[in-house]
Amino acid sequence: MSLSPTPQHEKGPALAELPWYQRLNLLNTTLLIFFLAVIFSGSQIQGNERDLDILKNLGRFLSEFFPPDLTVLKSTGSALVETVEIAILATFFAIIISLIIALGAAQTIGPTWLVFSMRMLLNIIRTIPSLIWAVIAVAAMGANALAGVAALTLYSTGYLGKFFSEAFESVDMKVARSLRGIGADPLQSFQYGIWPHAKPLIWSHCIWMLEYNIRSASIIGYVGAGGLGLQLHAYQEFHQWDRFATVLCCILIVVTVLDFLSEHIRRRIARRDGSNNALSD
Amino acid sequence: MQDKKQEPILSARGIGLQRGGRWLFRDLNLDLHAGEFLAIVGPSGVGKTTLLSCLCGMLEPSEGSVSFKLSGTSAHKPEDLRSHFGIVYQELQLIPNADLLTNVLCGRLGRFHSISTLLGFPKKLRQEAYRLLCELGVGENPHKWAKHMSGGEKQRVAAARVLFQKPEIYFADEPASSLDAYYAGRVLGLLRQEADEKGKPVLCVLHNAEHIQRFADIALSLNQNDPKAHKMRRVRPVNEEAEI
Repeated sequence: MSLSPTPQHEKGPALAELPWYQRLNLLNTTLLIFFLAVIFSGSQIQGNERDLDILKNLGRFLSEFFPPDLTVLKSTGSALVETVEIAILATFFAIIISLIIALGAAQTIGPTWLVFSMRMLLNIIRTIPSLIWAVIAVAAMGANALAGVAALTLYSTGYLGKFFSEAFESVDMKVARSLRGIGADPLQSFQYGIWPHAKPLIWSHCIWMLEYNIRSASIIGYVGAGGLGLQLHAYQEFHQWDRFATVLCCILIVVTVLDFLSEHIRRRIARRDGSNNALSD
Repeated sequence: MQDKKQEPILSARGIGLQRGGRWLFRDLNLDLHAGEFLAIVGPSGVGKTTLLSCLCGMLEPSEGSVSFKLSGTSAHKPEDLRSHFGIVYQELQLIPNADLLTNVLCGRLGRFHSISTLLGFPKKLRQEAYRLLCELGVGENPHKWAKHMSGGEKQRVAAARVLFQKPEIYFADEPASSLDAYYAGRVLGLLRQEADEKGKPVLCVLHNAEHIQRFADIALSLNQNDPKAHKMRRVRPVNEEAEI
């Protein structure tokens, strides 16, 4: 008996490959559009047609940063404190305003007309960058730290309002409904049925916002809204790059420490909120 | 107990519920008097939880009506009396990110104005809630979050909450399903005690034949094949003392 073995791949039905147009799902289409946009945007990469030695220029400019002038450390320290204070106050006021707006913007809590209008309001606030808010606040309140607080409060409200409303929406409403069932009024049902679920997420967003605001508060001084930005602007104007470097180093240290702390705290909160034995650690 | 039977606290007349074109139960009449413990029994999926939900007003029956006659209120409809009902849900509905003590204390939220509970509950109440937790064997960690407790512990906290609420009538959906024999007896025993000593009716979905025999006065069994073939039988003769 002689059997000629049939190769495995010749057995069974042939695989029908998908035509090219069927592979164009949303992901692939948007990727393709992005790459086409990159090609068309290439025209923007052109110099001013002067023969510039970019590396040499950069080296000369950066060398002016070193060594940093530490004599301004004291004034930088007080500006740094002012920056952190602006960020803390702005985050605090933004938390209060955002909590109120978020209650209306959460689909599971507010009526549809209120949800729509609150979301529109938050979208509009978010559209305007922090530096523009600072320009508006300085125009209204003058060049001082209060303008910085007002600008960052408004800017943060746009983000925190959105985050908080999403945190409220992520809560399972069954518990709140069951509390209403046993006679709790709406405030009690919120305090005991919704708030404990949303609190860890909300606090995590607050810490992130505080960290973000300290970065932003360092910049908004450029337009006169107090803090380190004022110093940065002054040193830039007078080409005192060694002093500029000192301020940058201070910002770098504060932001790095904050970033580490914020990440650590938020991870601990998330772990305690999600794991089964986190209380024991 | 017989004299109280002149007026039933819960009356269901011809109630029925249709789900997805199928009747789960129909033509169900029920009178529950003060101090009576009703066990709703039947195989899984027969509609015990649905019946309990209809009786406590969480679900509108497709036909028939349920009315109540509770002391201290002129309301009759279940939707107007929800704050007088003590409900142990099958899914427990505890607040996962709140401690055990707060979960129990929430049983009495309906008795306070929101302003007085804004900063927490009075110390006396906290002590009372703690005693209940201890009585049900979960008093060791009263400040631990509910989400970090085991299924059985959560069920005991849910039982403590409903007992702390001191409602006029109890609705419990398998309140001892995750408990060992000792704590199952303890939880059902406390509900039985509420019926015997305070005359509060108890409606309880139960599976365990021994629990039905030991704690219930009446067993209402639903039939999977015939929605009208529900049976009501008296488990314990009237006036017989409960053995808890």
